[in-house]
Amino acid sequence: MLHIILLQIQTYRSDAGLQCLSLFQDMDTSSPSVFVNAELLRMHVGKKVRAVVHVIQSDGEITTGKSTDEHQLIVKGLPHVSLMSYVEVIGIAESDQSIRTETWTNFGNTFDTQSYNQVCQLANGEFKGLFL
Amino acid sequence: MFSSSQFDATSAFAGGGFSFTQQTQPTDSTPSPAKSRETQGLVPVTVKQISEASQSGDEKSNFVINGVDVANVTVVGMVFEKVGRNTDVAFILDDGTGRMKCRRWMNENFDSIEMEEILDGMYVRVNGHLKSFQGAKQLVAFSVRPVTNFDEVTFHFIDCIHNHLQTKSQGEGLTPTQPQLVDTSLSTPMRNGSNGSQTAPSSQLSGQFSIDGLKSCDQLVLDYLQQPSSIGQEKGIHRDELSRQLKFPVEKIMESIRSLEEEGLIYSTIDEFHYKSTASG
Repeated sequence: MLHIILLQIQTYRSDAGLQCLSLFQDMDTSSPSVFVNAELLRMHVGKKVRAVVHVIQSDGEITTGKSTDEHQLIVKGLPHVSLMSYVEVIGIAESDQSIRTETWTNFGNTFDTQSYNQVCQLANGEFKGLFL
Repeated sequence: MFSSSQFDATSAFAGGGFSFTQQTQPTDSTPSPAKSRETQGLVPVTVKQISEASQSGDEKSNFVINGVDVANVTVVGMVFEKVGRNTDVAFILDDGTGRMKCRRWMNENFDSIEMEEILDGMYVRVNGHLKSFQGAKQLVAFSVRPVTNFDEVTFHFIDCIHNHLQTKSQGEGLTPTQPQLVDTSLSTPMRNGSNGSQTAPSSQLSGQFSIDGLKSCDQLVLDYLQQPSSIGQEKGIHRDELSRQLKFPVEKIMESIRSLEEEGLIYSTIDEFHYKSTASG
C-alpha cells in the first residue's frame, strides 16, 4: 500500500519536474562558475567560482587545502573529507583566500593539478569567451 | 572500426599535396585533411559555446560554431533534475559555463540501462546531437557516461580550447601542417579512465597562434628554428630544409632569414646557408 503511494508521489514529482523543464526557455549561461586557483580567486571575490583543492586538513566545518597553484585555500561547508584527496569545490568566493561550498565533488586521490591550473589560466585569459 | 588498416592514408592523400613526413599522428583516427561536415565526428564544446551558436539554413537545424557546421558534440558536466519516463529521460547538464537541456530517447534496452546509473550531481560525458526545439537549443544524447577519472574534466576543457583554435586557424587559411605542431600532447585519448597524470599542455598552445591568426613567413621560420629538434642541431638548419618544410620558395626564406638576423633572433653557423635561433629554447 505504501509502495503504491510512493509510486504516485514519484510520478507527481516527475510531471512537476517536466513542467519546470518546459518553462526553461533556453540555455542558461547566467551563473557560470569561474575556474580559479589561489591567484585568480582574488579577482572574483563575491562571485561563483570553482577550484580543485588538495585536502591538507579537514575538521568538518573548515577544510584547508592546497590550490592547484600551490597556495593555501580555506573551504567552508565541506563535510569531513579524507586527507590528501582532491576535491572540486563550486561555490561563492568569500575572500581572496576562502570559498563557501555550494556543490562539491570528490576527485579522488590522483589528479593532474598542473593541467587544471593551466585551464584556470586559459579560461580566464585568452579563451575567456568559451567559458564566461 | 575505421582505422587506417583499410587503406594507406599517406599514399591515398599523397596526390593532394599533403605530406605527413614531419609530424606522426599519435591519434588512432584516420588523418583526413578534408574536414567535411559529415565526417567531423564529435566536437568538444562548452555549453557557453552552444548558447552562442547560430543556426544556418532554414529549418534545417544546423548549428554553426566558429564558422563551422556542428551537428554532434561532446560535453562534460554535472547532471541535475534528471526526470525519467518510459519514452525518454531528460536532464539538465551544467558544465560550469552554463546549463542546457538534454534528452535521451529510450530506444533500446541499453539506453535505459545506461541512464539508470546516472544520478543527479554526477559528472558525466554526454555525446549527442544538437537540436532546436520550440526555439530552445537542446542536446539529444545518444551516450551518457559517468566520469570516473576526473582528469577527463580538465581534458575536456583543454579539448574545447584546442578545437576552437584549430577551427579558427583553418578558417583563416593556414597550411594544414600548422595545428599539428601543438596538438600531439593534447590528443592522446584518455577518455576511459587511464591512471596517472597526463603531461600538462605546454605553453606553446597560446604562443603559437598570434592574435590575428595569420603567421608571416618570418614568424614561421623563427618558430621552426626555435623547436627543440632544431635547437638540438649544432650546425643549425639549412635554408633548403626550411624551404622544404615550410613550403616557401628559397628567396622568401632568405628574405625572412635576413630580417630575423638583423633583429638578432637568428645567426648563421658553419656557412651562410645554416642558421640557428639565438634563444636557447
